[in-house]
Amino acid sequence: MSELKDCPLQFHDFKSVDHLKVCPRYTAVLARSEDDGIGIEELDTLQLELETLLSSASRRLRVLEAETQILTDWQDKKGDRRFLKLGRDHELGAPPKHGKPKKQKLEGKAGHGPGPGPGRPKSKNLQPKIQEYEFTDDPIDVPRIPKNDAPNRFWASVEPYCADITSEEVRTLEELLKPPEDEAEHYKIPPLGKHYSQRWAQEDLLEEQKDGARAAAVADKKKGLMGPLTELDTKDVDALLKKSEAQHEQPEDGCPFGALTQRLLQALVENKPFSVPHTKSLESRIKEELIAQGLLESEDRPAEDSEDEVLAELRKRQAELKALSAHNRTKKHDLLRLAKEEVSRQELRQRVRMADNEVMDAFRKIMAARQKKRTPTKKEKDQAWKTLKERESILKLLDG
Amino acid sequence: MALVSADSRIAELLTELHQLIKQTQEERSRSEHNLVNIQKTHERMQTENKISPYYRTKLRGLYTTAKADAEAECNILRKALDKIAEIKSLLEERRIAAKIAGLYNDSEPPRKTMRRGVLMTLLQQSAMTLPLWIGKPGDKPPPLCGAIPASGDYVARPGDKVAARVKAVDGDEQWILAEVVSYSHATNKYEVDDIDEEGKEHTLSRRRVIPLPQWKANPETDPEALFQKEQLVLALYPQTTCFYRALIHAPPQRPQDDYSVLFEDTSYADGYSPPLNVAQRYVVACKEPKKK
Repeated sequence: MSELKDCPLQFHDFKSVDHLKVCPRYTAVLARSEDDGIGIEELDTLQLELETLLSSASRRLRVLEAETQILTDWQDKKGDRRFLKLGRDHELGAPPKHGKPKKQKLEGKAGHGPGPGPGRPKSKNLQPKIQEYEFTDDPIDVPRIPKNDAPNRFWASVEPYCADITSEEVRTLEELLKPPEDEAEHYKIPPLGKHYSQRWAQEDLLEEQKDGARAAAVADKKKGLMGPLTELDTKDVDALLKKSEAQHEQPEDGCPFGALTQRLLQALVENKPFSVPHTKSLESRIKEELIAQGLLESEDRPAEDSEDEVLAELRKRQAELKALSAHNRTKKHDLLRLAKEEVSRQELRQRVRMADNEVMDAFRKIMAARQKKRTPTKKEKDQAWKTLKERESILKLLDG
Repeated sequence: MALVSADSRIAELLTELHQLIKQTQEERSRSEHNLVNIQKTHERMQTENKISPYYRTKLRGLYTTAKADAEAECNILRKALDKIAEIKSLLEERRIAAKIAGLYNDSEPPRKTMRRGVLMTLLQQSAMTLPLWIGKPGDKPPPLCGAIPASGDYVARPGDKVAARVKAVDGDEQWILAEVVSYSHATNKYEVDDIDEEGKEHTLSRRRVIPLPQWKANPETDPEALFQKEQLVLALYPQTTCFYRALIHAPPQRPQDDYSVLFEDTSYADGYSPPLNVAQRYVVACKEPKKK
């Protein structure tokens, strides 16, 4: 059983207000019958008296709540000995004996952190008493007070940034450095395909052909007059296409000569049209000759590109990609190098930690010796010095 | 006509109040028994000098019953006090109605200003019967309880008492005790009546009107709702109807006590009067810059 002096309750005096003495008007009204009633002039005094009663009842309620809370907590937290401080001081009914032991306990408590204090030995003494009494009560589940969790969460969140580098990570870095296989893909310039107008023209004709075939089938069934479409042959389609293609390659105004050839002929020959075979090759030969003579600048590639916006854009992007990949590669190299350095430093640090432990051991031995009031032996001193020197050397390596 | 029906309503309410008071006492005598038990248990626990689990559970049970009883008692008492407030507000309405009716009746001369003594008694009574704020556990004192200021958009109602800053004939500004007649939302101005000379009305902007507290703060439960020592306030000078700047000398100790204040007074050596008592009702926060 717990001693009275350990009890945190304050044993208030819960006497209610003696209304006969303090509230005369109230008492008088009570005595009256309903017929007599209350006069308006009595309202003020009644109000004051009722306020007094209410305020004392309120106070009683508050104190009762506080005391019940203490009781409940005390019963629940038997092993923990947590006392709630009451908000106000009451002089009623609390013998002075309570005040002192309570203060001592509160000083020793200061929360749930670790640390030796005067409170500790006391609680250990009282522990057996509480425990034997625990058997008589139902085991109540003690609600665990949540430890202050914030520093743990903080370190957990920061951990990925401060953790040691493992060899696995170094290997991953090396893997990353290997040039990707599909790089060549990115730099290819796909050849210009058939121009879309030609492609569409061809597709349209094929469509019509299909339609025609279908119509023919229907016509056969129906034996109707679907004449003109059925005549259309694949051969004719090709012939048509060839004609249109041939037309594309020639300048629209019907002159067979290329641009340069035209200009040259204009300059050199009077208005005498004549036909020359191989106009295409003539044009390119003239171009080459002019370039060789230095009369015409070799514009070759750029002239083409200025018209082809898509190609220009593609080239731009490829250049960007190249620059970016190079940049990435250098960065990865640097990272790998740093990682390797860090790994070696980590090993050193590990050795420092072990050296620390050895130094601490030596220190403890010396302290023990000192406590036993004997001077430490030469062996111990030597060991201490040795460990210290070792640690220093490792540290030098680390810093250097 | 309205006056007559108000009378009968008041009579009704008075009867209800009577019933409530009787109920209160029933409740109190019932809970008396339990309180006596608690007292006995306390004594036994103290003499035996040990706390057995038996006693603990018993005490817990007794406390729980006592709590329920106290709550019930509080509820009835609050109902009774609310009833009194209701009656009082009806009386107040009746008074205002009578005043307005009197105003329109031009044949009668305006009432002579009442004698000083009568006015002072009225003021004292008004201060004494200001309702005391008794909050339930966990309640905070509301605006206009003691030193707690009104909320920013509060508009005083007709009949409320206020401190009003008016310009006297000679140009001097003074804070007087006044009663609100009306408030115009259009112009944001109050019409107030000087409590002293009936009939002297002023129209003032909201800045010049400070509502007086509507509840007394209980020093035992809500000391933070009281003005503290050395705080600058506007307090009603005893036996006058004007407010002057003062420093709090001591806040009230019990609910029915007054503040003890030091008025700024250049006729004294240190610039302050000796401590004078002013009721909670007539002490408000001072926001004025130093007067010229």
